[in-house]
Amino acid sequence: MVRTGGVLCAALALLLAGGTLIYNPPARLASLDAPTLTEELGSTTSGQQLLALAGSPICGVDFYYIEYYTVGAKNETATASGALMVPTGSSPPCTGPRPIVLYAHGTTAAKTYNIANIADSTNPAYSESALVAAVFAANGYIVVAPNYAGYDISSLPYHPFLNGSQQSKDMTDALTAARAALPNTFTPGTTDGGQLFVTGYSEGGYVAMATVKAMTAAGQTVTASAPMSGPYALEAFGDAVFLGSVNIASTEFAPLITTSYQEAYGNLYTEPTDIYEPQFAPSMFELLPSDTPIDTLYANGTLPETALFSNSTPNATTYPQLPPQLVALLAIPSNPVFAIGFGTPNLITNDYRVSYALDAVTNPDGAVMAPPSVALAATPQNTLRIALKTNDIRDGSFWAPSGPMLMCGGDQDPTVFFPLDTGTMATYWAGLPAGLITVLDVNAAPTANDPFAPLQLAFQEDIASILASSGEVGVAESYHTTVAPFCTVAARSFFSQF
Amino acid sequence: MRKTIITAAAAALGLAAPLVQADDGSDLNNDVRLGLYYVHYAASADNITGPYSPPCPPDCLNLRLEDLETPYFAYVRRLSTHFLVEVAGGWPPLTRTVGRGPATLGSVPYNGQVIATARWIAPTALFEYQFFDDTAALRPYFGVGVNYTDFYSRQSTAAGDAVTGGPTSVALPSSWGPAATIGVAYRIAPRWHAYASYNYAYVHSRLTADTAGFIHTTDINFNPRALVISIGYAF
Repeated sequence: MVRTGGVLCAALALLLAGGTLIYNPPARLASLDAPTLTEELGSTTSGQQLLALAGSPICGVDFYYIEYYTVGAKNETATASGALMVPTGSSPPCTGPRPIVLYAHGTTAAKTYNIANIADSTNPAYSESALVAAVFAANGYIVVAPNYAGYDISSLPYHPFLNGSQQSKDMTDALTAARAALPNTFTPGTTDGGQLFVTGYSEGGYVAMATVKAMTAAGQTVTASAPMSGPYALEAFGDAVFLGSVNIASTEFAPLITTSYQEAYGNLYTEPTDIYEPQFAPSMFELLPSDTPIDTLYANGTLPETALFSNSTPNATTYPQLPPQLVALLAIPSNPVFAIGFGTPNLITNDYRVSYALDAVTNPDGAVMAPPSVALAATPQNTLRIALKTNDIRDGSFWAPSGPMLMCGGDQDPTVFFPLDTGTMATYWAGLPAGLITVLDVNAAPTANDPFAPLQLAFQEDIASILASSGEVGVAESYHTTVAPFCTVAARSFFSQF
Repeated sequence: MRKTIITAAAAALGLAAPLVQADDGSDLNNDVRLGLYYVHYAASADNITGPYSPPCPPDCLNLRLEDLETPYFAYVRRLSTHFLVEVAGGWPPLTRTVGRGPATLGSVPYNGQVIATARWIAPTALFEYQFFDDTAALRPYFGVGVNYTDFYSRQSTAAGDAVTGGPTSVALPSSWGPAATIGVAYRIAPRWHAYASYNYAYVHSRLTADTAGFIHTTDINFNPRALVISIGYAF
């Protein structure tokens, strides 16, 4: 009996193992041949811009929906879903052994995010699904893109946002599941060609880099990678925000990251009011991702739209323990974009901000307090800072990707700071052999013979156009998303060398 | 001797008459009939619903059923000059379900594609009234009763799998419903009649298609209307 039970437990564990495909063959949600995909993309202005940038599809694309087992932040078994995009058509680049692109998507507040669902233009993942399909799958790459645990049909009741360990497992589990599904698609002749490229944007940029780090540590081969606009240097990024450089969309990121780390480590707070203002605290833990559109959460007062911190900033009277330099750092910044993050009602209490900031100056991150040092804080005390350090790509002993990596972004990005994140990682890897790390700033002036020059010029034309029509505020609000297609096309160009 | 041989041969062919019979056939209480069903489905179905169905409107997914022909057979018990009980059935036909809606879903053909097939066995019991007496050459009749339809060998076709996104299992529960017939019998000989009838049965079911855990459903009213041409032999 005991033996039987043991066998059953072992069988169950095998069935629920990370990367196990729940339905095989997976369901194909859409099949678009190249002309139909071109027509679909050409039906919207943004799609026409994407076609102009990515080029007309060479292949059709079949969109499969994969469901698989992975783990949560506490290593608990969880289900998750994602997309397997398979190129179709008879042209040589569209069939036979093909390279795989493992793609990680950007931050979303929408619980229903499903990057496999290209057929529904109201789906919150539609534009990213179209981008990835047009750039990669329509050009002969098999694409594997998890929705992440905590989204869509996932059994996990929270999303392990910026949790490098969990999210890299989610990525590799999605890859394992997709590889198992490939022979059972409508085009079984399209197979894994052996090349693996890892990329992603924003949160996905971080996830892509964390995945490369995890796969490198496990001795697994990544042909090349292209993390884009990601918050890689998490501790430095957090310090910059708390010290006044408040990024665009910070009030969306805050509940995602505090819930993620509270679930993972259990020590971020005893009560949500330890971090959040009382009027917002009760709903913060389970707020995001949500079935309610984030604009509705802003409109009904559940979440402040921009005011992460109070516009009554800490001063020597209210916080006598603060040194004058820190009082100055905590004041509303002169940069108008950062100043948007201050107001009333605000999300995070002054008490918590002061606590974090004191730790940031007492146990400094070199990238913030002493550049060009990129050293992490030796002994942070604030539990959020400890969590950020744990998940910072620099954490642990020095590592480097074994395959070439392109880091792409825009240096004026007010959502994820390019100099602090990409710049810090570039410095971290400065001693590596030439050619292993390539940095592309789409906002930089093109140099002679730069293969990315056309993309840089096109991006800068787009930004100039937005500035002319919507002003600086419009640029600030759309800069991060405007960078995405340019970097994604740059990633494809980079991958095509291998 | 010659007469005996002929009688034996007729009996062997199943055409033998009772040794004593009435000329009007009034003592022949059993009748077997063979013929052909010409089935027309005036089917109506709700638009298909389920995950990842395209927005409806404009791209509403619906179904229709192809008309078919299949052999008909029945046993009829004569209760009196005017009243009969008929138990009818047909050779289980292959019913083809055809997509009705947008020409394509993405690049996958939909409208006009045979997306599923099923066979059904549909015995019908009818209580019938015949006009006139047994000597009449033409006897109109009508009847009402009950139909049971059981669907089996339900399969999604390759075209159906392409539409739904993969191998799909189809469920179609059996149906009970009222049935009716109206027809006319033509007396060829005391034992032989030709029949023509128009038949209706209420057949309703809920189609459920399961593709990798995605369930799509639609309620279908099959509305089969069948013209039956048959020959009957009474004994």
